[in-house]
Amino acid sequence: MEERIKQIMADVLDLDPDSIDESTEMDAIESWDSLNHIQLCLSLEQEFQISLLVSEIESMLSYPDIVQVLQGKM
Amino acid sequence: MIHEAQTEQSTRQAFLVALNAGSLVEAQLAARNLAIKDCNAAPFSFIRNAVAKTSPETLPLKPLKVALLSSFSIEFVHDSLVAMGFLDGLRIEIYQAGFGQFRQEILNPKSGLYAFEPDVVIMAVEGIDWMPTLYRDYLDVIDGEVDKDLAEFRKEILNLVRIFREQSNSTLLIHNFAPPVWRQLGILDGHVSQGQAELLHEANRFLYGLCRETQGVFVLDYAGLVNRFGSKHWYDDRMTYYARLPISQPMLPHLAREYTKFFRGLAGRSKKCLVVDLDNTLWGGVVGEDGVDGIQLGPDYPGNAYVAFQQAILNLHKRGIILAIASKNNPADVDEVFAKHPHMVLKKTHFAHEQIHWGLKSQSLMEIAKRLNIGLEHIVFVDDNPVECHQVAGAFPMVTVIRLPDQPERFIGALLEEGLFDGLSFSQEDRNREELYRQVEQAEELRGRCASLEDFYCELEMEVSFSPVQANSVSRAAQLTQKTNQFNVTTIRYSDSEIAARARDREWLVTTVRVKDRFGDNGIVALMLARFGSGELDIDTLLMSCRVFGRTVETAMLAYLCEQARRRGAQRIRARMIPTSKNAPSQGVYETHGFQRVSVGSNGESSWLLDLANGAIVYPRWLKIVEEWTQADEKSDVAHGR
Repeated sequence: MEERIKQIMADVLDLDPDSIDESTEMDAIESWDSLNHIQLCLSLEQEFQISLLVSEIESMLSYPDIVQVLQGKM
Repeated sequence: MIHEAQTEQSTRQAFLVALNAGSLVEAQLAARNLAIKDCNAAPFSFIRNAVAKTSPETLPLKPLKVALLSSFSIEFVHDSLVAMGFLDGLRIEIYQAGFGQFRQEILNPKSGLYAFEPDVVIMAVEGIDWMPTLYRDYLDVIDGEVDKDLAEFRKEILNLVRIFREQSNSTLLIHNFAPPVWRQLGILDGHVSQGQAELLHEANRFLYGLCRETQGVFVLDYAGLVNRFGSKHWYDDRMTYYARLPISQPMLPHLAREYTKFFRGLAGRSKKCLVVDLDNTLWGGVVGEDGVDGIQLGPDYPGNAYVAFQQAILNLHKRGIILAIASKNNPADVDEVFAKHPHMVLKKTHFAHEQIHWGLKSQSLMEIAKRLNIGLEHIVFVDDNPVECHQVAGAFPMVTVIRLPDQPERFIGALLEEGLFDGLSFSQEDRNREELYRQVEQAEELRGRCASLEDFYCELEMEVSFSPVQANSVSRAAQLTQKTNQFNVTTIRYSDSEIAARARDREWLVTTVRVKDRFGDNGIVALMLARFGSGELDIDTLLMSCRVFGRTVETAMLAYLCEQARRRGAQRIRARMIPTSKNAPSQGVYETHGFQRVSVGSNGESSWLLDLANGAIVYPRWLKIVEEWTQADEKSDVAHGR
């Protein structure tokens, strides 16, 4: 699952998937703006066939946060 | 699962490698596989980002500037739009107007919209944003001004379209409106005199009428899209309130695709010809093994799904798409199905050409392209067999290959969903096109039988009619300028309104040419635009459809121009030749007809002169020439029997 998350983050945020690690967070990535954030969350929803609450979307602000929220949904 | 992940990674790699090597067709093929797989959004972002990093020089993409005006956060469609455009060979540059600024952008002549000089402007406004009372507070106005929103919408859209047309020549696409999901009167909405659905229907009708009457303005059938996918899937209420994005993420590529259907039409990239396989495509089973009585085709499943698929193909034929067959079969077996099977919807006469043998399918396609004189890039090939599909795609990546799904009930969707055949005009000639190509085939056969070329011309019994462009032929004339590439001396493209304007101008001669022969009426297949001035007739446009190549029609056209020049007292005919990569068939026309070359520019453009004092061009003796006059001139049909 981690690999897929990284791939989707890389696609939407235009990053190298290998550059994504525990320290990757919204504040530190220039392309990770509010529009791309929504696009990222919606792409993850689509990929993992889940539905996110707005509160979850607002809490997925780093790679570890994203993994944590998604694992809770599986 | 692991296998799938690996395939995806290798497809991504293949895409990037092809992209960086400038191999557009291979990159498109890989991108198509990435994007089509499940229409997931992330690969679209990936494709867009990768394409954005290439320089315009490395990839032969046609630039297209698209301006988006919207009442909601339509930015989310950008990735899909750029990626979809790439699949069609377009480099889409987007101008995104500020949120909800569509009125200001159109009304202000100094707006960013006009400064951007877009090729296409899309007005994506949700009904609720334009007619809020009708959608939200309908019950408050039900006893009063129930159609106030509608009246205001009419006034406003009329004004916006008018002002837009004064400021810009771009194509304008306007979303129509999907009705409210929940009708406020529930099941009674249809029973009151002006229910919500009915009022919305009125608004849409008004919009259709307006778009029909205004050049280059089209309705984008948003209501149809919502309907096709269902409002439950189309809308995302959570995102409507959270991010002003009413359309759910999985639906955005479908919206982008609807836009790109128009772009393809504008760029002249609509497909013209459908080549079908037979076994397990037009019918279930293999005729060579199962026999005519054993194939699946008829009133029960799965035969009825094949009947429906044939009907869908017949509908393409009726709108002017050329049909052809590429099948590995014994011709006799196939003939028997066509002749004897009671449930065949398609008949042999619907197909302009057939390739039925055991050779390679790629060769069949090549032969079809040659015989029908159309480019491979205008062909769609449909087959159930993945090996055949792969073979054709490998040999000719420019052919659009559709591999049919396993269940026949899904064939129609696979054939139509991309709108590959959608164009922006539908002329009388389109309606009869199949017949026209049959005639070309028959004429080719006749040519083979005739001893000399002159015999062939005589046997064709051709009649060439010249007529000033009329109200009912303006759109065909414009279509010819937009679509004709091979026999076209200047390749100047005209819109309907530009043709109409020149036709009204006394200095201009705008003449359509209709060609009939013993096999039937080819319709309007050639066009001339020329301008009188200072003792000269200056040829602006001289073009001819490939349907009548090699029949001396161009000689008749030049003879006609000589005659017109004399009548108006001109002593010379001036002409220009602008060479393109495609117009080789027309490049020698002035030289072979005795024009003198006056100059050649650095870009290869040459200018030519014919002095009528040295003798004019005459009509070939095997053509019957008919001149039709408009009411404006003296009304008399002059027929030269020659």
